[in-house]
Amino acid sequence: MPWINLDKLSLFKKKYNLKFEKAGKLPYVEVPRNKLLQFLKEIKEHPEFEFKHFIDFTVVDYPFHSPRFQGVYILFSPLLKKRICVKSWAEDDTLPSLISLWKGAKWAEREAWDMFGVSFEGHENLVRMFMWEGYPYHPLRKDFPKEGIKEVHLPSLNQRPGEFPSHDYDEYHTVVPTLEDLERTEKTRIPKKQAQVVLNWGPLHPGTHGTIWFLFDLEGEVVKNCDIILGQLHRGIEKLSEDITYTQIIPYTDRMDYISAICSNVAYVNAAEKLLDVEPPEKAKWIRTMMCELQRINSHLLWLGTFALDIGALTMFLYTFREREKIMDIIEGIAGIRLNSSYMRIGGVRKDLPEGALTVIKHFIKDFYQKLKEYEALLTKNRIWQKRNIGIGVISEEDVYQYGLTGVVARASGVPYDIRAIQPTDAYSEVDFDVPLGTTGDSYDRYLVRMEEMRQSARIVEQCVKKLEKLKDDKYIATDNPYVLPTLEETFTSIEAMVKDFNLRIYGEQAPKGEIYLSGENPRGELGFFIVSQGEGHPYRLRIRSGAFYNLQIFPELIKGKTIADAVVLLGSLDPVVGETDR
Amino acid sequence: MAIMNNNGIILTTAEEVLSWGRRNSLWPVSIGLACCAIEMMHTAASRFDTDRLGIIFRGSPRQSDVLIVAGTVVNKVAPMLKLIYDQMPDPKWVISMGGCASAGGPFPTYSTLQGVDRIIPVDVYVPGCPPTPQALLWGILELQKKIKAVKEGKEFKEIPVKQAAPSFPIKK
Repeated sequence: MPWINLDKLSLFKKKYNLKFEKAGKLPYVEVPRNKLLQFLKEIKEHPEFEFKHFIDFTVVDYPFHSPRFQGVYILFSPLLKKRICVKSWAEDDTLPSLISLWKGAKWAEREAWDMFGVSFEGHENLVRMFMWEGYPYHPLRKDFPKEGIKEVHLPSLNQRPGEFPSHDYDEYHTVVPTLEDLERTEKTRIPKKQAQVVLNWGPLHPGTHGTIWFLFDLEGEVVKNCDIILGQLHRGIEKLSEDITYTQIIPYTDRMDYISAICSNVAYVNAAEKLLDVEPPEKAKWIRTMMCELQRINSHLLWLGTFALDIGALTMFLYTFREREKIMDIIEGIAGIRLNSSYMRIGGVRKDLPEGALTVIKHFIKDFYQKLKEYEALLTKNRIWQKRNIGIGVISEEDVYQYGLTGVVARASGVPYDIRAIQPTDAYSEVDFDVPLGTTGDSYDRYLVRMEEMRQSARIVEQCVKKLEKLKDDKYIATDNPYVLPTLEETFTSIEAMVKDFNLRIYGEQAPKGEIYLSGENPRGELGFFIVSQGEGHPYRLRIRSGAFYNLQIFPELIKGKTIADAVVLLGSLDPVVGETDR
Repeated sequence: MAIMNNNGIILTTAEEVLSWGRRNSLWPVSIGLACCAIEMMHTAASRFDTDRLGIIFRGSPRQSDVLIVAGTVVNKVAPMLKLIYDQMPDPKWVISMGGCASAGGPFPTYSTLQGVDRIIPVDVYVPGCPPTPQALLWGILELQKKIKAVKEGKEFKEIPVKQAAPSFPIKK
């Protein structure tokens, strides 16, 4: 487990008035607010620790505690390959801003302000992250209802006068912003200067990979200043999951990063299993690894198709979607649903592999290497492709640590940060694969790394298929565990299983009190789940550390001084998915 | 269209020609909001290939006549979606794709619009989370039928829905 042994930090104990908590599943250090900044600076720069990779920051609301809000910082040390969790209570609802230490803290702090109303001393522009300016509430506070406050009359336009509504719906709705509200939001981001044009790109533009809203402050064709407005797909998944059982959260993880649904499932399920002390059977672990890697190929193929489409190569889009359809069919055959499959369950997987699934996968992989070669033949040495990509958006190693970049974006800059290798879950410790690294960290490197990753994923799938052929008759879900839902057959044939099923579905998995942070390697970066449990059937707080959210944060920095044409390439190579950035 | 074996002469009305043209060249705006957009892309891509139905995705709302609302509409994006709908020239139709766009879907939260029909009128609702490409194609064919029925002056026969028990929202 890559958490640092807190005894090593005892030399700072007196100096910073630290409190250690070693007993739980998430060992952490508690620092008083006034010494937080110095302490973080010390462990960042101390040659023995070097906790310089910013991973996550979030806030937990305890309404009956004084002070009310607790900030949680998670850092990673590339030197020790260990993580540390630092907590601090926000006295007077304020915390010091970490922008002076990590630029990556900027958006996370904005998010904390937006969702909880915690303010930050020294933050350069503390405005709303997901909601719009003028929105009066802080929705993730415990005293705010999850369905919001319904205050505007907004009936359905399809309901004809004099008719009963087709279903029992509320004509009152939560407040919807006006265009003026959004304009005000825009103005807070970029102070307009004379003789410059602010160009809006998005939010409903096919090139923005979803609903990201870019503001470019232009001088001619050159971008002088840039900012991003997020929240056009903020659906409140974190708030929703405070109200539902641990199993019910699984479908929401699908809809977060919809391109790599199974990877998100696996990352969440692993975190929940760790919290509940559930051990899935071996077969389930191998199935998970195999499905994860298939989904990674699927995700990278979508990236390749749309990225090439953005640059102007329509053929790639049609080619990669041909392969994607094949993977989608495989996933549909195994899980039953094409895109948001919800295939994972706490303690295993939902269904056993159907007959012939492994044969189909084997044939697909055999064919896939050839297809990859075709794609590379079309693109890698293509002169237009190289001219558009080489030297665009160079990310240095220092930037990776500063902004908390993970996933392909970090690896293309030469940082070997791969959760599959650092903290292997499932069967990743038993499979053989290489972690491709880039050298310069430009857009072209990110393309090369992703292409190589697809090849490595195919390799992992091959190994999984070989192993799964031997494990044919094993159990695929550990239903003996009291926290694991029984299968359908068990529920219908045994009364004990039916009672257990009823209890788990109605009251939820009564998780032990404690906290957990566990992450998985998503195609878009590290997807971490920070779960706070208070011993109820639902999480007290679920924080989703999204890789795409942090990766996107470097975009305004990289585009400064470049032309608008590079923005498309740069955004494509960072590969964000809005469902995950906004949650 | 009234095609008669009349030495290559076709007798028809301008209305019919317009309706025939409209329903066979539905040009949607290429807007993707969430997960459903991926399935919409799959519908347009190599396997399902909507081009053969005359459906070509356009980049500008000024050139299109169908708005496929593919994904969750949150409160923040709702006014902009309405702006795009307003920019489309008449006649225009809306397909609400998936559970989120139709009624909020699995997100009954503070930030999600509970059904896109609260801001723009919807012609066809496609169920699913997300709907498969086949389901979206069904929705498009259903829209074609609707356009045809409107031309002939008939009322479009919608799929009969079981009447819910009368219930009124609480007055506030």
